[in-house]
Amino acid sequence: MVLFFQLVVDGLASGAIYASLALALVLIFRATRIVNFGQGEMATFSAYCAWQLCEWGVPMMLSFLVAGVLAFLLGIGVFRLVIRPVSTAPVEAVVVATLGLFVVFQALSLWLWGSDQRAFPSMFPNVGWDIRGVRLTASAAGMIAVLICLAALTGVVFRFTRLGLAMRASAYDGEKSLLVGIPVERMLMLGWGFAAAIGFVAALLVGPRLFLSPTMMMPILLYALASATLGGWDSPLGAMIGGLIVGVAESLGATFLPFIGADLRVVIPILVTLVVLLVRPVGLFGTRTVVKL
Amino acid sequence: MSTQLLRFAPAALVAALLGLPLFVPDFLLFEISIAVSYGIAILGLNLLLGFTGQICLAQGALFGVGAYTTAILNVSFGWDPVATLPFAAISAGLIGVIIGLPALRLQGLQLAIITFGVASAFPQLLLKMDTLTGGVTGLATDQPFAPKWFPGSQEAWLYGLSLICAAISIVVVTRLLRGDTGRMMRALRDNPVIAEALGVNLTKGRLAAFAVSSALAGLGGGLFCILNGFISPQSFLPMKSIDILIGGIVGGITSIAGAFIGALFVVFVPGFTTDINPALGGLIYGLCLIGMMMIARQGIAGLRMEKLPAAILGVFKFKSSSRFPGAVPGQLGGE
Repeated sequence: MVLFFQLVVDGLASGAIYASLALALVLIFRATRIVNFGQGEMATFSAYCAWQLCEWGVPMMLSFLVAGVLAFLLGIGVFRLVIRPVSTAPVEAVVVATLGLFVVFQALSLWLWGSDQRAFPSMFPNVGWDIRGVRLTASAAGMIAVLICLAALTGVVFRFTRLGLAMRASAYDGEKSLLVGIPVERMLMLGWGFAAAIGFVAALLVGPRLFLSPTMMMPILLYALASATLGGWDSPLGAMIGGLIVGVAESLGATFLPFIGADLRVVIPILVTLVVLLVRPVGLFGTRTVVKL
Repeated sequence: MSTQLLRFAPAALVAALLGLPLFVPDFLLFEISIAVSYGIAILGLNLLLGFTGQICLAQGALFGVGAYTTAILNVSFGWDPVATLPFAAISAGLIGVIIGLPALRLQGLQLAIITFGVASAFPQLLLKMDTLTGGVTGLATDQPFAPKWFPGSQEAWLYGLSLICAAISIVVVTRLLRGDTGRMMRALRDNPVIAEALGVNLTKGRLAAFAVSSALAGLGGGLFCILNGFISPQSFLPMKSIDILIGGIVGGITSIAGAFIGALFVVFVPGFTTDINPALGGLIYGLCLIGMMMIARQGIAGLRMEKLPAAILGVFKFKSSSRFPGAVPGQLGGE
């Protein structure tokens, strides 16, 4: 039983990472109906910026803050330069453009910083507590706390501020929002900026666990895609819960299902997602779309 | 004048393809053959995504199923590699039907993610079944040697083999797209609800499309295995499926010629960009992809020369109204 709870705690911690990246993906999807396959690599790039600032002697928290702002600007820049011009193209073309972002940012990190793995500073102290035999480290607790903060923050912004209302409106119906005087383009731009910043937070959580490398976020991206699908692509809450479910399922499945084991653990999120989708094709919290003829 | 020329274009193209070994060095010929094997897999994806409106991101894994079928039949059972090709296609087709089962209920994005999950699990699965697949060391297969009467090199012989495979797949796909089956597939893509109301069997249509598309991927994979002479799980990483998708879209997803143009793109362009600058190769390739989608939205095959300047200028026209709201049903971004 102790093992079970230990695995759940570990699963929640890694689930928090998947959830934050999934949140970034869902925010972009909701606003612009685009799945940004480059999200993870953009986050890695921003994390490298943070690492570089630390190396130059900037205090850790300050460099994270500066890199967060950079990530926000990066999201806006990517939207202006890449997504705007292809936004009228067929969906397939947009997919290839975001895959292009994936390639570009991975190559950029590789070119600027090389393929060596770098130790990434952790935001959390290296301590832990024993609760009836279950070990809870500060970093696991911190990750879950960060996710809860992100959830609360996005919830508050979207529900209680004029900005959030305007962003929801432009995501819901761009043309009508334009008619009531909402600067839709600017809202979408902000959406991309926020998403990039949230992706950067995910990278900050991953960095200390896996070491910093240009391909660090690639496996995480698959888990985040599965989480977003599991939760429903139009629900930020769903993405976060989906991430936690995927994290726990992965951690439990890899230990308790002997034929899957550690090497086939990548199957677990897909299986869980598939089972959920077969029951609810739009995901746990997704809204059904009505097909009109 | 131009229509006269167009009538001879297919004949000229065939002549050019057959004459290619006379002008091109062996190594380049080998790479072109590899591109043809990818082209067959991309053709399958075009049939599925472009004409039936179903997405499958496991095309690289199915390519691998074909390759491993050829390799295992050759290594463990001593079959002639060329004779294994039909079986590579059949086995991949069967697996494709299994992968296609969720497609009966899922569409667009959800289907893309699930099939991409299959692609990610595939290399791990190969490692797990190492008694059959040779694990990390992979499998080395025999190559069919050119017969004595054949004047050209070994590469030219294999090039001929890949052209034959490509021709067979092109004939199969064009036959399918003509007539009733083609109309049914396009109906599935354009509006499944209306199609079903008019008596099209959705289940049968979708599974059949998956089967044919996967069989083509398997044929391409078997060919790849023969050409390369060696396969390992490293050849079938999830990025391969993404490359196949990129090839399909860059070439033109609703075009048969586009499949092979796209294959040439994904085989040669990363190499070219690395030649320009080894460190920046990936960067240039990525920018190429993005730029390509800004200029040629329907893929290279959909590009019209006379519209090219307007398309390039259109990229810099920032004041146009954008599409954002509303998903297109049955496509990648839609539900």
